[in-house]
Amino acid sequence: MAVKIRLKRMGQKKAPFYRIVVADSRSPRDGKFIEEIGTYDPNLEPSGIKVDEEAAKKWLNNGAQPTEVVGKILKAAGIEK
Amino acid sequence: MNCYPFSKEETGVKKKYLTPVLLLCMITKVMNVNEILEQALLYDFYGELLTDHQKDIYEQFVLEDLSLSEIAQDAGISRQGVHDLVKRCQKILEGYEVRLHLVEKFLSIKEKVHKINEVLDSYEKQGMEPEKMAERIRKISDTIIEEL
Repeated sequence: MAVKIRLKRMGQKKAPFYRIVVADSRSPRDGKFIEEIGTYDPNLEPSGIKVDEEAAKKWLNNGAQPTEVVGKILKAAGIEK
Repeated sequence: MNCYPFSKEETGVKKKYLTPVLLLCMITKVMNVNEILEQALLYDFYGELLTDHQKDIYEQFVLEDLSLSEIAQDAGISRQGVHDLVKRCQKILEGYEVRLHLVEKFLSIKEKVHKINEVLDSYEKQGMEPEKMAERIRKISDTIIEEL
């Protein structure tokens, strides 16, 4: 059972905006995700990170694997296991 | 953050040693953030010029943040194949930017429009004189026209 925490691109063209979602890695394409735990807006300076800390910690402790980018974002937000 | 410059008297050996590391951390942090934004913008501008297959794979990598092996499994090609394709797409997109500079222009104009809005804000909220406002906006809009 592999659960991943990844970014999901939202927003219009030329204005990227991401949701941080928890998703099952076995069905990567269907776009379904288990839970949204935050957002990431790279357009702001410094970039706007909003994360539900409790949920993020819960998922990390349950073995959810963040992607490289999400790992960096969580680190920047000061969230670790 | 005020990690540099230290005055010479204050700078102990340890601090001197730490400073480049700190700076490097800040630089890499900035670069990572910009990288995501840059890749997304490059794709938004030039993505239509990729082939359907390239688009399909590259979208999964950049927009859905899937790993190479996840994409490989799903598309039925090797992980190395996906990696090559993603790298090639990045190179193609960057090549377009080097020649056309659309993203660069977009960002620069966006920033200037933002400045115009700031001028308008200070007119509305802080009672800047209309002549001064008009002059500043004209200056900015002139530089925009020049860049187009």
